[in-house]
Amino acid sequence: MPDRAIERWAAPHTTVVTGANGWLGRALVHRLLADPGRARLRLLAHSTADAAALRQFVGARERVEIVIGDVARADTARRLLYGVHADADVLHTAGIIHPSSVRQFTEVNVNGTRHVTEAAIDAGVRRMVHVSSNSPFGTNPHRDDTFRADEPFNPYLGYGKSKMLGEIAVAEAAAAGLDTAIVRPPWFYGPFQPPRQTTFFRLVRAGKFPVIGKGDQRRSMVYVDNLVDGLLAAELTPAAKGNGYWIADARAYTVDEIVETVGRALTDEGLSVKPPATRLPVLAARIAETGDRVLQAVGVYQQQLHVLGEMGHTIACDISRSTAELGYEPRVELYDGMRRSIRWCLENGLEL
Amino acid sequence: MIAHAATSSMEADVLVIGSGAGGATTATVLAEAGLDVLVVEEGNWVEQGAVVPFSLDQMDQQYRAGGVTVALGMPSIAYTEGRCAGGGTEVNSGLYWRPPGELLERWRRDFKIRDFEPDDLLSIADEVETAIDVQLVPGGYSAPSEMLRDGAAALGWQHAEVPRWMTYPKGADAAKGERQSMTRTYLPRAVNAGARLVTGCRVDRLVLDGAKATAALTTLADGTPGRITFRHVFVCAGAIQSPALLQRSGVHGHIGRTLAVHPTVKLAARFADELNVPDDVPVHQVKEFAPHLSFGGSASNPGLVALSLLDQWSTFRQQVTDWKRMSVYYAAITSEGRGRVMSFPRMKDPVVTYRLTHRDRELLRSGLARLTLLMLEAGAQEVFPSFKGAPAVRTRRDVATMQQAFRASKATVMTVHLCSTVPMGEVTERCGADSFGLVHGLRNVHVNDASLLPTAPGVNPQASVMAFAIRNARHFVSTGGSRA
Repeated sequence: MPDRAIERWAAPHTTVVTGANGWLGRALVHRLLADPGRARLRLLAHSTADAAALRQFVGARERVEIVIGDVARADTARRLLYGVHADADVLHTAGIIHPSSVRQFTEVNVNGTRHVTEAAIDAGVRRMVHVSSNSPFGTNPHRDDTFRADEPFNPYLGYGKSKMLGEIAVAEAAAAGLDTAIVRPPWFYGPFQPPRQTTFFRLVRAGKFPVIGKGDQRRSMVYVDNLVDGLLAAELTPAAKGNGYWIADARAYTVDEIVETVGRALTDEGLSVKPPATRLPVLAARIAETGDRVLQAVGVYQQQLHVLGEMGHTIACDISRSTAELGYEPRVELYDGMRRSIRWCLENGLEL
Repeated sequence: MIAHAATSSMEADVLVIGSGAGGATTATVLAEAGLDVLVVEEGNWVEQGAVVPFSLDQMDQQYRAGGVTVALGMPSIAYTEGRCAGGGTEVNSGLYWRPPGELLERWRRDFKIRDFEPDDLLSIADEVETAIDVQLVPGGYSAPSEMLRDGAAALGWQHAEVPRWMTYPKGADAAKGERQSMTRTYLPRAVNAGARLVTGCRVDRLVLDGAKATAALTTLADGTPGRITFRHVFVCAGAIQSPALLQRSGVHGHIGRTLAVHPTVKLAARFADELNVPDDVPVHQVKEFAPHLSFGGSASNPGLVALSLLDQWSTFRQQVTDWKRMSVYYAAITSEGRGRVMSFPRMKDPVVTYRLTHRDRELLRSGLARLTLLMLEAGAQEVFPSFKGAPAVRTRRDVATMQQAFRASKATVMTVHLCSTVPMGEVTERCGADSFGLVHGLRNVHVNDASLLPTAPGVNPQASVMAFAIRNARHFVSTGGSRA
C-alpha cells in the first residue's frame, strides 16, 4: 500500500459511460451497479441492438439510462451529456480496435474522443477519464526495456496513430480547462469478453498459439477487473488531473509464460489442451508486420496479420507511478485471471 | 618539461607503448616498483590550457587524424582517439564512472578471469579517485547541464551529477575546473620514479622471436626509423591501435575481432535564453534506462553545433546563427553489435568496421526520441535531431513524426568509447589476453588498456581502464614478469 493517504473524491451523482456494451464497458458497468453511491448511470450504446443487449445486462433498474448513438457523430456526445453538470464524471471507454476498414480508426478513436471532450467542456463535468492504450507508444526497443509513465509517442500503425490523436485531443481539452485523466491498458483479458475473443483460448487449446522466436518477448497484460480498479482510481483521485497512467498487472509476462499459464488454467478448468507446437521464426512476425503495414496504407485492416505482426515485440510498461499516485494495486494475476475468464466463458455458453 | 624527444636507438627493461589512461598508470606502477621503464608516445606533449578544449585546434594537435576516423558499416560510426601525451584523458569530458560491481562479477564469470576480485578493483578505484581528484562541482552547474537535470526531473527519470577528475578553485563553478589528466598526475609520477617518457615516436611493429618480442621498430617525428630493445613490452595504445600493432607484428589469435563501442546519436536543442558553453560539457547524465541507454551533454562550440545540424542542413542551417541559445546532447546505447580492427601490409592505419544489430538500431531510435522528449520537458523551443530527413521537433506530436522517420542508417552515429579488441580472460575462443593482460601465446607481450575490457561497460570506461591497468601492472611486479 502507498505510505501516504491519497485524497479521493466521493462518487459523482451521475456517471456517464461511453462504450458501455463493450468488453471493458460491461465490466465497468457491472462494478458501478454494485456501488450504491453511484446515484445515476448514463450509458451510451452504439445501436438499438446494443441498447437492448445492455438493458438485458443491467436489468430493470431505474437509475440506469441508456442513450443510443454513434460516438463518431458530433450530436451523440451532446445528447449523452445533456443536462449533466459538475456533479458528473465521464468514463470514455468507447473505441475501435479491430475495424472493418482503417477509416473507422479516425472516426471513432479520434473524432469520437474529440466530440466527447467538447461536450464535456460545455457541460462542465467534474472529470473525464479517457481510455487509451499502449499503441500510441509503439513497442519497446528491446526485450528488457520497460515503458515509463511518460514516453514519447511512436504509434503502432493505424490503431496506434488514432489512439495517439485521441490522447492529443484530450491534452488539448485539458489545456482548454477540462479536468482529464488518461488510463493506458495494455492487452486485457477477463470476463465479459466478446465472442470473437474466444479464438485466443481455442488456439492455446489446440497448441497453435503462434509463439514467435524464443517466446521471450515480454507482454504487459491486465485483468479486466484490475483495469476497472485503475480506471475508477483515475476518476476519483483529484491529483490525477492532466496525467496518464499505465494500468496493468503487477509485472509483464513472457509470451511463453502466457501460453503455458493459459494452458494450465484451461486444464485446471477441465478442458483438454495439446502441448504448444506452433513456433514461428522472428521473420514470420516481421513479414506479417510488413504485410499489415502495406494493407493499412491502402485502408485495409486484417486482424490476423495485425495480431501476428505485433506478437514478435515486447510491450511492457511500468505501473509504479499508478501505484504511487492513484493507489492502484493490481489484485489479480495471470493464472487466477485466466481461470475466472475461462469459467465466465463456459458459464455464458461460449465454446472454447 | 618531463617528455623528451625519441632517439633512433633506445633500450629499456620494460617498454610501455602509449601514455593514456592505460600506459600512464602502468608506467607509474612499474617505475615505482623500481623497474627501468621507457614510455613512448606517438603524439606530442601539449600542456593543459595551451589549446581551447573541444576546439578544432585541439582536434588538430591532440587527436589522431584530426579527429576524423570512421568505423565502416551501415551506418558508419565516427570515432575519435587521443594522440598526445596523456591520450584520451587530455581531451575527453573528464567524467568518471566506476565499473558497476555486478558488471565486474559478470566479466569474471563469463570470461573466466582468474584472481579477479571485484572488491580489489573497487579498492584500486578508491586510490585512483584520490590520485586524480575525482570530485563534484563545488559551485554552480552550467545551464546546459541544468537543462538535462530539469528535463529528467520533470519526467521522473533517474539522473545524477557525474564526478570529474578536476580540481576547482574554492566554491567555483563547473567551467572553472582544471582537468587532472595523465600529464598532470600519473605521467609526472612515473617520471619522478625514474621512468623515461619520449614523445613523437610511433611504434610500427614488434619484432617477434618465437613466443617472445625482442624489439620495437619505430618511426620518429622527422621520419627517421628507430629501434627499441626491451625485455618486456606493454602495449597501451588504445582499443584500435593496440590490436593493429599486434596484427602488424604478426600476432594471431583473438586480436581485433570484437571491437565494442557505445554508439551515440545526437540532437541540438534550442532554448529561449542564451545558454551555450563552448568549452565545457554538462556534468549531469540520465541513467533511467541504464545500462542500455544513457543521455548526456556534448561539447557545443559553434563548430560542433553546426556539425550536429549538418545531416539536415537544407532546413536546419539558419539555426546556426542562434548557436548561443543552443546546446548539443547525446543518447548512447550499449550495443550488441561488434566491430573489427584489421591491419593490412603497408597501410599505416587499420581498417575498422562495425555492425549494429536490429536491437541496436531500435535502441538508437528510442534513445533519440526519449532524449527529445526530455528536451521538450526541459523547455526546449525546438529540437534538431541529427539524421538525414529529420523534422524539427516542437511538440510531442512531432516526436512521433521524428521516430517514424528515423533510420539508424541515415543518422550520424559516433562514439568516443572504444574497447574489447583484446578481451582479457581464459575463455580461449573469446579472449586475446590472459587474466592479467599477457597476450595468449606470447611470453612477454602485454596489453594494458581499454582493449582488455571484456565488453563495453555501459558507462565512461576510463575508470575501468585505470583499475585494470593498475591491477595487471601490480601482478606483473609481484610475479617478476613470468607467465603464471
